[in-house]
This record gives sequence, C-alpha cells and structure tokens, in this order.
Amino acid sequence: MPKRKLDPLPSAAFQILLSLSDGERHGYSIMRQVEEQTSGNMRLGPGTLYSSIQAMLEEELIEEVTRRGDAEPGHERRRYYRLTPSGRKRVRSEAEKLADVLRVARARNILRGDYV
Amino acid sequence: MSEKMYALMLRLYPAQFRASFGEEAMQLVRDRVRDEQGAWAKVRLWADLAVDLAASLPRARRRSDAVLVVVPAHSSHVAPQFDVLQQGVPNLRAIAYGAMFSAVAFGALFTWFGYSRNYREVHMVQGPSKHDLLALSYSGRHPGARRGSEVPGAGTLAVSDESEIKVSRKSAHIVLASWRSDSGPSGFQSTQLLPAGAQSSAEPQTSQPNVQGATVAMIEAIGAHQIVMLGEAHGDKQEYEWLNVLVKNREFDQRVDDIVVEFGNSLYQKSVDRYIAGEDVPMGQVEKAWRNMIGSVGPPSPVYGEFYAAVRAANMKHRGKHQIRIVLGDPYGDWEKINDAEDVGPYLAHRDEWYAQVVKDEVLAKDHHALLIMGSGHFLRRNGTGLVESTIRSAGTIPYLVVFGTNAIGGYDNLDQRFDSWPVPAIVALAGNWVGDLPAMPVVTGGMAPATPLKLSDAADALLYVGPRDSLTEVRMPRAELDGTPYGNEIARRLTIQMGHPVNFLFDQTEVPQFPRPQPQPQPTGGPRPPLPPMPKSIHDPLPARPPSQ
Repeated sequence: MPKRKLDPLPSAAFQILLSLSDGERHGYSIMRQVEEQTSGNMRLGPGTLYSSIQAMLEEELIEEVTRRGDAEPGHERRRYYRLTPSGRKRVRSEAEKLADVLRVARARNILRGDYV
Repeated sequence: MSEKMYALMLRLYPAQFRASFGEEAMQLVRDRVRDEQGAWAKVRLWADLAVDLAASLPRARRRSDAVLVVVPAHSSHVAPQFDVLQQGVPNLRAIAYGAMFSAVAFGALFTWFGYSRNYREVHMVQGPSKHDLLALSYSGRHPGARRGSEVPGAGTLAVSDESEIKVSRKSAHIVLASWRSDSGPSGFQSTQLLPAGAQSSAEPQTSQPNVQGATVAMIEAIGAHQIVMLGEAHGDKQEYEWLNVLVKNREFDQRVDDIVVEFGNSLYQKSVDRYIAGEDVPMGQVEKAWRNMIGSVGPPSPVYGEFYAAVRAANMKHRGKHQIRIVLGDPYGDWEKINDAEDVGPYLAHRDEWYAQVVKDEVLAKDHHALLIMGSGHFLRRNGTGLVESTIRSAGTIPYLVVFGTNAIGGYDNLDQRFDSWPVPAIVALAGNWVGDLPAMPVVTGGMAPATPLKLSDAADALLYVGPRDSLTEVRMPRAELDGTPYGNEIARRLTIQMGHPVNFLFDQTEVPQFPRPQPQPQPTGGPRPPLPPMPKSIHDPLPARPPSQ
C-alpha cells in the first residue's frame, strides 16, 4: 500500500492550510500569514511554499481560485488558493491531534500555565 | 540584481516546477525585495532563500525524477499503471549540492555588500598637471559641481595617452584601473571608485533617484498595489491642487475604487455617499463630514471641502462608468452630543484603530483598490509600520507608502538645491538613492523637526514633492466664516473642551507659509499660562457603539 505524500502532514503544509482557514490568499500573503501565526518562527521560502502548494493541490486539500482583479490590465497577476472541504477537514483533524498532545503534556506537568 | 540572482537559483529546480510555479516564486521574491529594505533585511532575505533552496531543491528534484509517465497501452487488455510518489530520506548528493550552491551564493552576496559599503562614485577632472586629479563633489545630474579636494594617492597615477588613464594600484582602495577621457586632452571627466571617507568633500553617494511626474507615478503605484497610502501635510494648497487634478484623471479613476480620508467624520458617510455620487444633497448636511471632525478640533482648511467637490465632479463627468467613493476614516463622534473631554476621549484615543477598521471593512473585505489619505505622522514608519499599515499587512496586503516632503534636509535653513531641477509635483521612489538616504524628519516637516537617524527610505516607499519649502502654503478658513458665526462659536466650544481654556483660532490671512520659521517661545506675560487639562479617563474606554450613519 503506497504511503500518502502528506501523511503525516508536514509542518509547512499544516501552517499553510491554517493560513487559508479564514479565506483565499496568494503566495506572498500565505507566507506573511504563516510568519505572523508562528510569531516569526517560520518564514516559508518560495521553494518550500510552492512545493507544498503543489502537493496539496494534487491531494485536493486546496484549490486555485480566479480573482476579478487578475484580469484587469496593470494589476499584478497572482494566483489565489483556498481550502477545499477535505482540506478544511484535514486541518481541523491535525489541530485536534495537536490539542490532544498538549492535553497530555499538561496532564504530565510538562507544560505549565493555561495552554489550550 | 536580486531578481536576476534568484532567477539563476530558480533554474536549479526541475523544469516542471518552474513551469508551474516559477513566475509565482519570482513574484514572491520581488515582493520581499520590495518590502524588506535595509542591509540586515537583505541579508536575512538571502539567508532565507539559501536555506529554502537547500531544503526544497532535493525534494523537488526527487519528485521530478520520479515523475509519472504515461505509457501507451499496446494492448487494449493492458491498462497503463500509475503509482503514488512517497516521501523518503533526502539523498546525500542533493544535500551536498545545495550546500555548495549556498556557499557560493553567500560568497557572492557578501562580496557585493562589501563593495557597496566601502566604495562610492565621484566624478574626476584633470588638474593643472597631468598627474594631478581633482575630484568634483558628486552631484548626479548637476555636474557643475563644487570643486573638491585632491584625490589621495594622485601621485600614483600615470597617463598613458590623452584618452585613457591608468592607475597604478599602490593604494589598495583604488580598484578601478582605467577610464576614458570624454572631454578632450586638456581635461577629462570620468568615474572612479574611491574608499568611503577618503574624500572629505565628497557627499554620500548612491544612485540617482527616478523622479516622476506625481500623477503618472501615482497611477503606476495604484496599478501595482491594491493600496497606496499617502501621508499628507494638513491644509497644504499645492498638495491639494494636485490631488484635485489627480482624481479627475481617467486612468486613476478607473483604477481606484475608494479614497479613504482622515478628514471626514464617518457619522456622515451616508450623506457623503449621496453627494459624491452626484445626488442633490444640501451642502449644510454634507459639509458636516469635514467641519465636524473629531481629529481636527479647530476650523478645517477649505482644501478638504474642495477635494470632496473634485471627486464629485469627476464622478459626474464619468456618470455610468466606474465611480470613486470617498470613505470616511475619522471616528463617528457626534459633536452635538459631546459636552466635555470625557465624552470625546474614546474617539480621540482610537482614531488610528477606527481608520484601520474602516479600511478593513470597506476596502479589504470588498477586494477594492484604494488610496488612503491621512496626516503623514500617522503613516510614517518610525519604529516599524504604524497601526493602519500593520493592520493592512496582517490582512495579507502590502501597501505602498508615499509621504509628503520638501527640500529641507537638515535645520530650517538647510535647503537642498538638488530638488530644484525636479518637475513639480513629483513622486520619487526612495530605495537605493540619495533621496532615500536623507534624514526623514526634516524633509517631512519642512525643517521644523531636527534630523534623527531615521532615513527617508526606512520611513516610506516614496516621496511626494510639490515644491520647495518656501513656496508651500497652508490655506485657512476665512475669518468671516468664523468670527461671531454659529460655527465659529461651536469651534470655540470644542477648543475649550479639548484645551481647558479658550484658544484663538481667528486669523486675518487665509494663506500662510506651510512651514513658518520656528520662533523662540515668548516670555509669558500677564501671569503663567493656563495648564493643560488632565487627560480624560475615558481614553481607556473602547469606542462606543456606532450610531446609524447620517
């Protein structure tokens, strides 16, 4: 049985899915959003970003959308991406796994304070 | 330069990846180069790209090597078989290849930085003897120049013929070996690289700015960016004369959906929408937008009402086609219900927050293109981006910031004549040229604020120049509209609420210098000045609920 390419979900892919959870974004916007949501700890380079996007497009976790402004002359031509229903389900499932891990960590006194 | 370097790096990726995402990846790098200015940011950018290359290239190659191939079925009974690629351990050869490339890229980068920091360009002329060279202080497009001092190490120069000079490389700092004469045997001009600091009279050098007509530059900016922010000088006549022309430009009109203004109380958005759309609305109702601002307690300059009228006229001229909307960014406080400082406190304390919220709701959420106009103090990147810009960036949009400025580059009397040859009005991009190297504060305040380490290129993306400092004027509301009128009495009341005592706001002149010479504070007569009232406690309160728009 061949292994799925994004199983387990790499950290970069998870962060990209998370960044798309509140709407469609283009590549640079995804990069900035990931940087913000990881407090600057993850700055996706173009190679990592677009190879992750490529893999997620193939697995239909995300899809490309056409935007009105792209067709207008003089505007930057960008490709926007958004979550598919299965992408949304997947990011929720990954987040729940992380929440479970955190709950265990708290129960074993590895973490202090009000995490999660 | 950066783009070319990354284009080379990109060639290392498989053709399939380049075809699918090459242009996107280039755009991302362009965006970062544009937004991340300064030496440290550049180093960080290239470090990121090198690490990214090392990490992602082996994976991309592996995916490419194992790309699926459609095998034609030779028999109708045999269908082509496909499999799914797997993730695996990166192979060592690919990692070594990436590391080697990174080392070469870093070496090239640091070599380039070394040159750009240690050397600068000066123009040279031949001195009285063949072996003497005099340096002309650099002046870019004004080679008239001031004469500088002799070049250190001039004795090491040797003339090989009348058109070509060769430099003996005794000084390790002189790196350019030869140059050609272009002004005949009795003198020459050319370019030489000298160590920074070697020429005491030479001025700091970077490349020449690209000075564009302001309208063309603004149309280009709004075409390339979803949001352009304009940091304005309040009430400036020349600035608003240009803005009134700009909004009537058909290309600008077609590219801009909204103009978000500081000078409009959002309580009156409904009336302004109708007015701007060309409907018949009583002026007494519409003008409340700029006459009842929360952020400007004194009488507003007439330039603001004229700007609203200019946008309305442009919309009416293009009726049935794309229309511009004016979106009001001043908090929605109602002066008819404000009786003391506590009443106005929450609105004053949240001006930037409200403006940012309006941009989010009315521009970003609708995927509009917009010009944002607010006092330059709100937009200037003093310690990073301001609240409004940070909000926009958080939403995934990178705005382009243009700030108003003039030719005062140091103290009040330190005016820079290099600006004199520029067209007026002009917009100048600030990255990588001498304008960007100027101290920001004197330029944006007409020399009234002292220079600080903040450079213009760190404070904004571009400079709007509408004339030399002493030609700029501020337009004031005529005395006749205020002296003893109901509106004048209301302004007096508002000023007393804010300042704690009556303040004179009546002036005979309607046009005064935008940046008057700073005067020493006169000795107080007739007793001590009234103290400023304490800050209202309500500044810590959130904004009250927004009432229906009027």
